[in-house]
Amino acid sequence: MTRGDRIVVALVAALALAAWPLAGMASGHDAAVAVITGPRATYRVPLDATRRLDVRGLESTVTIVVEHGSVRVADSGCRDRLCVRSGAISAAGSAIVCAPNGVTVRIGGRADAPDALIR
Amino acid sequence: MRPTLSSGSARAVAVVAMLVAVGAILGIVETAFAPAIPVPGVRLGLANLAVVLALALVGRGAALRVTLLRVLVVALATGSLGGPAFAMALAGALCSWAVMAWLSSLRSLSVIGWSVGGAAAHVAAQLAVASLLTGTAVPLLLAPFSLLLALGCGLVIGYSSHLLLSRLPLVSAEFGAR
Repeated sequence: MTRGDRIVVALVAALALAAWPLAGMASGHDAAVAVITGPRATYRVPLDATRRLDVRGLESTVTIVVEHGSVRVADSGCRDRLCVRSGAISAAGSAIVCAPNGVTVRIGGRADAPDALIR
Repeated sequence: MRPTLSSGSARAVAVVAMLVAVGAILGIVETAFAPAIPVPGVRLGLANLAVVLALALVGRGAALRVTLLRVLVVALATGSLGGPAFAMALAGALCSWAVMAWLSSLRSLSVIGWSVGGAAAHVAAQLAVASLLTGTAVPLLLAPFSLLLALGCGLVIGYSSHLLLSRLPLVSAEFGAR
């Protein structure tokens, strides 16, 4: 590894560390709510609720389950199913992304004017 | 590092064709295995080996050809052509190529530096496209973690490229000099 290589490695590492506070900033208040954004609608579900939500994505339907204070993607028709394999999240600022379907799930975060509030 | 083959030579064309095939196969193999850590945009990037080799052996144009052709072949083989996954793959591959092409013009870098820079660009582009697809900034929340993973993957692929270039007779400097 040359000196230039080390500089590139250090730059990428610095970029990653610099991006860290962004995740905290974006999470904001209201950590007890899961914000689910699909191509057509945004839903806010309190984490203490038990809900099963079918969100229509770009390619297929994404099934999202809120239970036991956490939220997970139970099923998705996308190919890699990274969203399903991401498991359950419950900490503020954490997120699950199903990119092929254009669906995101995150904990907390400022309300981007939700279309529906599910109680 | 200077390319060892002149880009117009028959040998260069043959090497590019071979690298497209290798890159496509590695890409298909990689899509067959789900990545160990489920973060969108992060994968080991085996196919990038072919692009790094093309860049080192022939040059930027060749690396771009390998990039575009292998993305196309992988998309055709996996049936994702034109879909959102294809948009992410293409954006990641092109950004990775652009950064690696630029890094390869700097003198004090080796293939390891190119690969790490390319991996970071790949992840950044994929997360940006994912943000466009989802219409939210949520994918960017994954950026710190993804970039660190990309760093590790870039080092692995870069070091592998280095070993291939220095050990494999087929793609060594003497191959081009003949």
